[in-house]
Amino acid sequence: MGIGPSTKETTLHHFRDPLLDVVSQDGDVDLLGIILVGTPQDNKSKYFVGKRLAQWTEAMRADGVIISVDGWGNSHVDYANTIEEIGKRGIPVVGLSFIGKQAKFVVSNKYMDTIVDFNKSEKGIETEVLGENNVDKLDSKKALAFLKLKMKKRGSK
Amino acid sequence: MVLDRELRRLVIKSFHINKVEFNSQNSIKNGYLTVDKSVLNQFVEVEELIEKIEIDIIEPGQHNKFVNSIMDIIPISTKVLGEIGEGVTHTLTGVYVMLTGIDSEGKQMAEFGSSEGILEEQMVFGKAGTPSKEDYIIHIDVILKGGLPFERKLPLTAHKVCDKFIQNLRNILKEIDGRESSESYEYYDKIKPGKKKVVIVKQIAGQGAMSDNNILSEEPSGLVGGKSIIDMENIPIILSPNEYRDGALRAMT
Repeated sequence: MGIGPSTKETTLHHFRDPLLDVVSQDGDVDLLGIILVGTPQDNKSKYFVGKRLAQWTEAMRADGVIISVDGWGNSHVDYANTIEEIGKRGIPVVGLSFIGKQAKFVVSNKYMDTIVDFNKSEKGIETEVLGENNVDKLDSKKALAFLKLKMKKRGSK
Repeated sequence: MVLDRELRRLVIKSFHINKVEFNSQNSIKNGYLTVDKSVLNQFVEVEELIEKIEIDIIEPGQHNKFVNSIMDIIPISTKVLGEIGEGVTHTLTGVYVMLTGIDSEGKQMAEFGSSEGILEEQMVFGKAGTPSKEDYIIHIDVILKGGLPFERKLPLTAHKVCDKFIQNLRNILKEIDGRESSESYEYYDKIKPGKKKVVIVKQIAGQGAMSDNNILSEEPSGLVGGKSIIDMENIPIILSPNEYRDGALRAMT
């Protein structure tokens, strides 16, 4: 499983999500939409939903994807797989995740080279303090800046 | 240069609350919110899984209080015109609802670590997902029946009664004259031709007892009428920016 008290995004967080604010207000970006994807229990289903999601981004002709997760541990299996499926389709992808010292990725792949770690705790751990390890405006700006670089690099190829 | 094409308009009007108190009825007037707590007893009578519901108004700065594991922080918002993602939404600022939960045998409503303790120490105030220290907090503490297997229906019931409670406040918030709002924000879903096309993906939890999310309820940040990501087998769902901004996602993690 994988959503701890400090990484958990509350309903209020979704209502005033800094990631949405940063991306939707950027003049260089045409925000196509927000895709929500869940975390099924078994691996076969994890791969199923991840691949479907990547196929959506291809069908939308997305130039780039920012993928954020508020869980870790087992949730990173879903996360890594979805990133790989998007990356394999040649779409630049940047991640946002809690990593710190406690949540090093359990699985990884070559498309996970730009992940913004939004750990805020001093020790880099799940502190069980609500709101502590959440995405903020600065994390979101970093992620978008990384994505712009990646999209630019791809465009110049 | 090709101009942006506007698709849909969403207006969010916020009403700032300066004081919250209990009273015999719910009311909002000139920044003063009164809350009728008697309705919670009615919920206890009809919900078999609930033993007791405690409600408290936490005043700004009064955070030296023990709380059970924090299940959610919820804004009080309601649709006035249109559906989620377009039209007009009213929302309160200066006051938020905090839902906490435990069962009568002392099991906290949490699965992957829990946040019970002194509120001051268990929450970082002033983040996107948490109230600021100057805000009022309406604290709903649900005590569920103990000794039952830890299943989805337990936390879900706590969310359900909390949503029912908020609905009573939404119903009066709907009636307020929009011209009395403290602030008004206008958002457009739009196509920006020639710009880089970007998608935001949010991976949300969808399994087990504690990890569900409810999508596109009738009310912003609500429960009724929405679909659970678990029930939808976690399949990707696309929201417009304004749908997401208008409270299409209710966290139940």
